Amino acid sequence: MVSEVSAPPKSASLVGALVGNNQIVLVAALVVICVGISLAVPQFYSSANIIAILRQVAMVLIVACGMTMLLITAEVDLSVGASLAFVGVVAMDVINVTDSVFLGALAGIAFGALVGLVNGLIVTRLKVNSLIATIGTMMILQGGVFLYSREAIQNHHHLPSFVDIGAGYVGPVPIPVIVAAVIFIASYVVLRHTTLGRYLFAVGANEKTARLSGLRTTWLKLFAFVLTGALVGVAGLILGSLMNAGQPTAGRGFELTVIAAVILGGTSLSGGRGTLIGTLLGVFVLKVIDDGIIVLQWNQDLQMIVPGVVLIAAIYLDILRRRADAR
Amino acid sequence: MPAEAATAAVAETAAPLPLEMTGIGKHFPGVIALDNVDLSLEAGKVHALMGENGAGKSTLIKILAGVYGKDTGTIRIAGRETSIASPGDALRQGIKVVFQEIALISEFTVAENIFLEQYPTGRSGSINWKKIRQDARALFERIGFDVDTNARTGALPISQQQMVEIARALAHEARIVVMDEPTSSLTPAEVALLFTVIRRLTALGIAVIYVSHKLDEVFEIADTVTVLRDGRHISTRPIGEHTHDTLIQDMIGRQIDDLFPRSRGQASGKVALSVKGVATEKLRDVTFDVYAGEVLGFFGLMGAGRTELAKAIVGFDPIDKGTIEIGGRPLHPHDTRTAVSLGIGLLTEDRKGEGLMLDLPVVYNLSLAALGSFARGGFIDETAEREAAQGYVDRFRIRTPSLFQEIKNLSGGNQQKVLLARWLLRGLSVIVVDEPTRGIDVGAKQEIFALIDQLAADGHAIVMMTSEMPELLGLSDRVMVMGEGRITGSFSRDEATQEKILNAAIV
Amino acid sequence: MQKILFAMLAAGTALVAVSAVPASAQDTPKRIGYVVNYATHEWYQNVIKGMKDHAAEIGATVEVKDANLDVAKQVSAAEDFIAQGVDVLILTPVNEEGVVPLLRRAKAAGMPVVLEGNPVKGMTTMVAICDYDTGYDAGVAAGKYAKENLGGVAKVMNVGLPLLSATVLRSQGFMDGIQTEIPDAVMVHDLDGGGNPDRALEVSTAALAQNDDINIIYGINDSSSLGGLQAWKAAGKSQDGLLVVGTGGEGLAFINAMENEPSYRIEAAMFPEKNGYTAIDAAVKVFNNEEVPPHIVSPTAPMIGDEWSKYYDYDGTTRSIKWDAVNALVPPAKCTKTAADLK
Repeated sequence: MVSEVSAPPKSASLVGALVGNNQIVLVAALVVICVGISLAVPQFYSSANIIAILRQVAMVLIVACGMTMLLITAEVDLSVGASLAFVGVVAMDVINVTDSVFLGALAGIAFGALVGLVNGLIVTRLKVNSLIATIGTMMILQGGVFLYSREAIQNHHHLPSFVDIGAGYVGPVPIPVIVAAVIFIASYVVLRHTTLGRYLFAVGANEKTARLSGLRTTWLKLFAFVLTGALVGVAGLILGSLMNAGQPTAGRGFELTVIAAVILGGTSLSGGRGTLIGTLLGVFVLKVIDDGIIVLQWNQDLQMIVPGVVLIAAIYLDILRRRADAR
Repeated sequence: MPAEAATAAVAETAAPLPLEMTGIGKHFPGVIALDNVDLSLEAGKVHALMGENGAGKSTLIKILAGVYGKDTGTIRIAGRETSIASPGDALRQGIKVVFQEIALISEFTVAENIFLEQYPTGRSGSINWKKIRQDARALFERIGFDVDTNARTGALPISQQQMVEIARALAHEARIVVMDEPTSSLTPAEVALLFTVIRRLTALGIAVIYVSHKLDEVFEIADTVTVLRDGRHISTRPIGEHTHDTLIQDMIGRQIDDLFPRSRGQASGKVALSVKGVATEKLRDVTFDVYAGEVLGFFGLMGAGRTELAKAIVGFDPIDKGTIEIGGRPLHPHDTRTAVSLGIGLLTEDRKGEGLMLDLPVVYNLSLAALGSFARGGFIDETAEREAAQGYVDRFRIRTPSLFQEIKNLSGGNQQKVLLARWLLRGLSVIVVDEPTRGIDVGAKQEIFALIDQLAADGHAIVMMTSEMPELLGLSDRVMVMGEGRITGSFSRDEATQEKILNAAIV
Repeated sequence: MQKILFAMLAAGTALVAVSAVPASAQDTPKRIGYVVNYATHEWYQNVIKGMKDHAAEIGATVEVKDANLDVAKQVSAAEDFIAQGVDVLILTPVNEEGVVPLLRRAKAAGMPVVLEGNPVKGMTTMVAICDYDTGYDAGVAAGKYAKENLGGVAKVMNVGLPLLSATVLRSQGFMDGIQTEIPDAVMVHDLDGGGNPDRALEVSTAALAQNDDINIIYGINDSSSLGGLQAWKAAGKSQDGLLVVGTGGEGLAFINAMENEPSYRIEAAMFPEKNGYTAIDAAVKVFNNEEVPPHIVSPTAPMIGDEWSKYYDYDGTTRSIKWDAVNALVPPAKCTKTAADLK
């Protein structure tokens, strides 16, 4: 009955409906963190460090765009870290065999998308909960990559164009940042302005409703899984390129960084709610903290502890805000 | 004897009332939920608390249950002024509230749940399980109800879980039992049983608060009725002084002349939906036609297969046999996507579970099925979408502060109107409505009835599944009765009577 | 004593072609069981390779079981070996406390045991490299290189791993060694690179952005030094005036880097194959109840520039150790510093 008494409209705009004040908290946190670190260590805002942060943000953001959509459909993919390593190994191997960066990149992205497809089929066809299903594929991929190759696969042909994917620049901007920006903008447009984006929200908000309304719910979830997988392929290529090798041990804990960033950005694990702007801010907060701790020369164990605290604090603030809204 | 002396004598002899709430006020940011409300109970009497959604019933009960604190007013229990700090505190003071959402631990047995806070222990401090089971059985005997005390609580139907809650009340020696909309998911037989148990409680001297907006029930069980509206106390009267009309008038603040408007003439004679020989696990050989411009009502008791039929003909659940044609075109493949594109859709009985996207704004809920028509190349024309949605909000008088209000903040009636608008925006020719007024208060019910009537008048074919007899008789052009998955009777509007329908329904 | 032993071993290997078995009065064990802690790692792959090579020479077989970082699995694998009655058991302990009871049971069963890598209370002997000395020697070499090529300046970024005492000792040794040549060498950044390449890359990126005067990158393993180098390259910096020093040399990555990266000039090689080789020698000794020191040191050496080809053949896909050169290396009798010195 209380909820029924109409709360004043939060915002008359579409943005207002989907974007919560949660972002104001994140923006404030980001500003405070950046100003604080800059005061302590001026090199923090050197162009070299800003570019370094942007490149790290890019890697996470690329996958986080897919993960945001996946979480919006009320599913999750924990296998992205393990897949990231495997993508690099596969891509490097194909490049070594074919001597073609294009074919290697294609193979890497296709491999990532295939992992996504398998995850999606397990979830939608076998009806296995995605958390469990993707823990399963994560383990399979972690073991599988070693079965495939115990050693890092080196860039035998030393093709410079492969190195450029991760380490190259267009003007002063690193290529991964441009790739991430393109993916982010495209994802944003899809999620905000297209029927596909709206349907993703619908499936996550209430799958039965979506089905009764004539939406292809299975197809929509599969789409989100495959997209996330393909974006892991893109990120895996960049990581492989940065390391100039396919590293089977790479990507440890990557899935947690991605999911933490998405949740920090206000996307709900239970589906139907989330924004890419929030995800962008979430990635920035986590990566700036990561960078700041090194620049401040603090104990690096804090690189795990601080984001953990920030995540819980942000979610709690969000709960407080929602409670205030509900009154 | 002078009047004053008589009153004084009564005051001296009578025991203090079990509960007196006076001048209760409660506000939430921006909203006054309760304003100077009084409520007093008599021992051994059933006091009905009525009002539309948003009237303040739930807030009042939650204050009594210790869920909310009050801003103003006093509470006296058995004559002593007190405050209720928490749900546990309420129970200690003898108040047991049975909420709509049962608060039992579903993995525990019935007996364990009853003695949750006070397990009898043996000398060693270990729990005396035998005694728990015996005591639990004794409690059920007192309320005249039999249930397996060793059963896992979650496995019991809601009606029996309510009985467990009532037994819990007795275990705590509660003097006040509050029942919040207890019959909203019960069958008629279960309702009858519940009333028997309530009468047992009153015979034990327990005061019962009965919250409901079902008029028939209130007339059957209540001794006194208090009506709230917009957080204010409107009236408290013995039930004998009320008629249906006066009670509704108190609740909605105006008179209802005609609950079931009828603006339409004869159906067109064009078959909009043709169902032939449909069979599923729950349905057997169901065959019927619906014509454009008519309301075909389906009645049946719990488990008769109404909802199953509704879900099968809109492609949500698979069918084993039979054909379904919409406007002469077969529903093939048998899925909702095809169904919607052929022009048939379901207004579900389970709004939260299958109808609403609770966290999403009104406009997204409203436009969901028709979104494709606002899109070019996949991009949504949001201005057109909003204009269309606003059109329905105005036409259906959907009360929402904004198109972007999350739909969970709307009342049941307004939510239902949004869901109906979702299908109209899509342009369906056949709408299957399942329990269209479940959980909706009286004023809004009338609006829903009017809308359904209007839709039929506009040429839509309406298939209405309902367990409410007045609704069935008031709205339907034809009535089909179901029992055990089959059609057991078919009546024209003129033939249909309550008696004939019930006879057909009881297989 | 040690020197004589190693000279003898070296000579023995050289003579393999002439006489199948080195002339000695020793009995040789026939079956040796090895419970490795983590067979997936390149390091242990090569340890196993060295064991098998040497065992074949002396006419023994090595059976390997992988504990996969699980101490319970390790104990049950070792007990299997004891039950099967292998002649000697070699163990790389997963964790030091976990295998203490196992050693006691082996002793009771009369099973000779050699530990590899890490010490355990109650052990007879252990074969391991000296982490501190490995780092120290690489540090000295780096100091000399910096004097000649970097104008005598040494600003070090340590891509370390504070979690393990072994890797902390390497970093300490490196700094102590470099300071013998360049007394004002400093560690500008002390990073936790997690020992894995992507993490090393990430943390190095931030450190390099903050301190642009860094001119030496030291990595506690090859993943760490390579991560540091890739961060340097990704920042768009030229490798002129940079020195990268790696540690371990367990796989192919360092060979690749030394061949193709102008700054990757020094590798503190630890010769895992030789570790395995030495472990087999120790196994023969304990099998014969000979007197053995508690820590048998396996040699390490800094490889500068293309010196790697002195110790390894590389055909583009696999590498093979040159036993003559490696066996000629003389390890210190005793480690200068051990984990005990860190406390």
